[in-house]
Amino acid sequence: MTAALATSNEGRRKSVVTALLLAPTALWFFVLLILPMLVIIVFSLGERGPVGGYQAALTLKQYASLGSRLAAFKNTIMLAPAGTLISVLVAYPLAYFLAVKVSPRWRYGLLVLVVLPFWTSLLVRTYAWMFILSGKGLPALLAAIGFPEIQMINTPFAVLLGIVYAYMPLMVLPIFVSLEKLDKRLLDAAADLGSSPLRSFLTVTLPLSLPGVVTGSLLVFILLMGEFLIPSLLGGGKIFFIGNALVDLFLQSRNWPLGAAMSLTLVIVMLVLITLYVRLTMAASAGKSRSLP
Amino acid sequence: MRIYAWLVYFFLYMPIAVIVAFSFNSGRYAADFQGFSFAWYGRALANPFVTKALVNSLIVASVTAVLSVILGTTAALALERLRGKLRAVFDSLIYVAIMVPGVVIGIATLVALASVFDAVNSLMASLWPAAWGSAPRAGLGYGSIIAAHTLYTLSLVILVVRSRLVGMDHSLVEASADLYSTPFNTFRTITLPQLLPAIAAGFLLSFTFSFDDFIIAFFVAGPNTTLPIFVFSSIRRGVTPEINAIGTMILGVSLILLFTVQVLLRDKRQGNAAEAA
Amino acid sequence: MADYEDARAGVFPRKKFMDLLKSYERGSISRRHFLGVTGLGAATMALGGAMPGLFTRPAYAEGDLGNQLSIATWPNYHNPDVLQEFTDKTGVAVDVNVFGSNEEMLAKLQAGSAGWSMFVATNYTISTYQQLGFIEPLELAKLSNYDAASQAQRFANEGMVDGVVYAIPKHWGTTGFILNTARVDPKIATWKEFWDRAMTDYTGRAIVHDYQLTAIGMALKYYGYSFNSVDTTELAKAEELLMKAKPHLFGITSDYQPPLRNGDAWMSLCWVGDAKQLNRDDPNMLYVLGAEGGEIWTDFFVIPKDAPHREAAYAFLNFLLDPAIQVREAEVAGYPLTDKRAVALQPAEVVNDPILNPAAELLSALEFGAAVTLTDPNRAEIIARFKSA
Repeated sequence: MTAALATSNEGRRKSVVTALLLAPTALWFFVLLILPMLVIIVFSLGERGPVGGYQAALTLKQYASLGSRLAAFKNTIMLAPAGTLISVLVAYPLAYFLAVKVSPRWRYGLLVLVVLPFWTSLLVRTYAWMFILSGKGLPALLAAIGFPEIQMINTPFAVLLGIVYAYMPLMVLPIFVSLEKLDKRLLDAAADLGSSPLRSFLTVTLPLSLPGVVTGSLLVFILLMGEFLIPSLLGGGKIFFIGNALVDLFLQSRNWPLGAAMSLTLVIVMLVLITLYVRLTMAASAGKSRSLP
Repeated sequence: MRIYAWLVYFFLYMPIAVIVAFSFNSGRYAADFQGFSFAWYGRALANPFVTKALVNSLIVASVTAVLSVILGTTAALALERLRGKLRAVFDSLIYVAIMVPGVVIGIATLVALASVFDAVNSLMASLWPAAWGSAPRAGLGYGSIIAAHTLYTLSLVILVVRSRLVGMDHSLVEASADLYSTPFNTFRTITLPQLLPAIAAGFLLSFTFSFDDFIIAFFVAGPNTTLPIFVFSSIRRGVTPEINAIGTMILGVSLILLFTVQVLLRDKRQGNAAEAA
Repeated sequence: MADYEDARAGVFPRKKFMDLLKSYERGSISRRHFLGVTGLGAATMALGGAMPGLFTRPAYAEGDLGNQLSIATWPNYHNPDVLQEFTDKTGVAVDVNVFGSNEEMLAKLQAGSAGWSMFVATNYTISTYQQLGFIEPLELAKLSNYDAASQAQRFANEGMVDGVVYAIPKHWGTTGFILNTARVDPKIATWKEFWDRAMTDYTGRAIVHDYQLTAIGMALKYYGYSFNSVDTTELAKAEELLMKAKPHLFGITSDYQPPLRNGDAWMSLCWVGDAKQLNRDDPNMLYVLGAEGGEIWTDFFVIPKDAPHREAAYAFLNFLLDPAIQVREAEVAGYPLTDKRAVALQPAEVVNDPILNPAAELLSALEFGAAVTLTDPNRAEIIARFKSA
């Protein structure tokens, strides 16, 4: 009897402590995540004020006019997958090299070296490319060794390069992890059965590392959806992403309701993608565990 | 294959090397290398706009890091005990906080805070006794940048600390409880020391994120400019190697901190590597 | 930045000497000197400003100004030494916020809680700011250095609403285009030629501002319409031109100095201050006021309603209005001044500079931006479509 009482007391005390520990974070999420999102929802149903900004209203016309920024969506939807694809192509061999070929002694050190730049200032790293791709950088160097003078900065190529440079490290990690988990005995078995290296790569390694590729791709793609800095510095105002359109809508054209509607659409698209990604990777890993007894 | 790997590393570090090299350029324009000199570092550090922005950034990043670590660690410990719907709600909030793009966070926070400040200020003004002069006004400033950064970084800390909690040896906690140690004592002597590397890593990651962030601060900054905002406006306008010197210093600070993270987390490298993503 | 160097090198050496002497008398010369040399001084000052109460105010501060104020302004628009001098004199540290356009500032004002003690505004925004209640009539009694009679009327008038002074000019200037004559035909003299050549033989080499007033305004000039038109059919034609030109442009940006210097771009819409800087370093850079017209403007100081650190803002504004200080500010910003007392102190080569002070007949075709352009939804939408297309 007393023992039971003590436990229920302790249980109550424990949940009070839990609530207290969680309270500040809950408050933070409410004031800085839930509340702002609610305000954005309210704004997205409003109208542009006579001098710009927001004017209260209840209309869906902002969503209907999202089409006026179609080009930004289109750029993002075209360049983001292209950037993602190139990142995969660049990252995969490196991840493979690190996971399979390098001696374990160096492996993690080299991996850290890949990831490190991702955590340093994106602004400064992108500026570096602004500098390299400008007239007195790489183009001048190429011209000096006899190539024709070409413009590099302010082109889709520059934006793509900036994207791959910035986010490729993120791609290496998950691919590396999936390749490292790979059971090397499977490759030995394939070789024993007379499979060529290429064939065993295509039939064994690649399919098993696919979850890593999917994870990396979605990670990069999701980050690209909200990108602002790279297109604005390397695109010279000519190549607009959704992020650039949003900054413009809030700070220059000051059509806040349209900006709110666009932000919300972007978040919803991303949440759908993330859910999709979780489902996909779960299905993939389920499939894998079935095939590996 | 090895050559390919070297090429990728070259691709990753060449731009950084270029910035560092040109920061020692003695010439007046960024693109013409004329000789070796430390002059631009002196100029950058003597420029009051730069130092002011730097100090602002250091204040914002330090407070953000401290807050994130305290809130994130306590939340991770609490979530550990939580089950069911509430837990699921918090888990999804954490992921939303990390996944929503900085542009959207910046815009939404600005608009929401402006509405909150409006309400608070008019309330304050009506309640404030006239004899005390004009009422104090809440506004954008250090607080709004720190608050918006902390949303992201505290979620990051929760993830880092939580993965450490999962990998922790729980038998010690149980043994301690069996020996009638108070929960707080158990936490202090057993749990905290084991969590310390994760907390330290969370601190440094929060610091670097906050120190480097441009887009969120761009929206929610009040009268104080942070270093990335200053750098953004000067790389668009400016042409002197001063900006290269500032960039080199920013990269230097980040790299040192990140190396520290790696050293702190080296005993569970693989887990950390996955989180860094 | 180059100007910054010039400004540091020996302007008013006598004043500097006096300052040095004063600090010597206070017995702090060695410490200050040391801090100055290491650059730590500036960092410490900034820290002092960031943490009110940590550092006490110098004894000679006038009145109760507090220790801080913030100003929203354009990039490279102030002389850092002037700001430092104000801080040394009054103990008030100046926070500088840099913005890219008037529209961006308006957005922050509309969001509220910007927290600026004062800011810089171009002529076409003043009446809107006044109507929206964002700015206050200036208390001229607090501005002993202001002399209405010494202001050039054409510029100062733009800062008044119904005869009340809301804004005091900092600089005036023009907006035209710049040509790198080493690469392009130096005979381009009209906006029509500018746009036509940008779309033909100089494709990929021209820059247009990412700024509604001038980008749309100069496109309107192509057809000979008013720079300020909000007529929908005229704007539609301007949009058509902008869209047609876009694939041929090197960039849509207000930061055109680096690509012009690098040789990536050969021609650009250009503010006169940038033109002066480019021309000084490379005489091939030719600044042209399009024959059809273009923009003439005045930038003003204004004080927001309910400004924090209001007294400090007035003290700072008064300090900046000192003719000698105006001259030092102009050395960095590179734009002409409106105050005759300050112009009298400027070197003859600045006052007679054909870029900065073009002949009066060239100015007569230019237009001040009209208030309606700031808020017209069509113009906002056109520039947004131009950029995002």
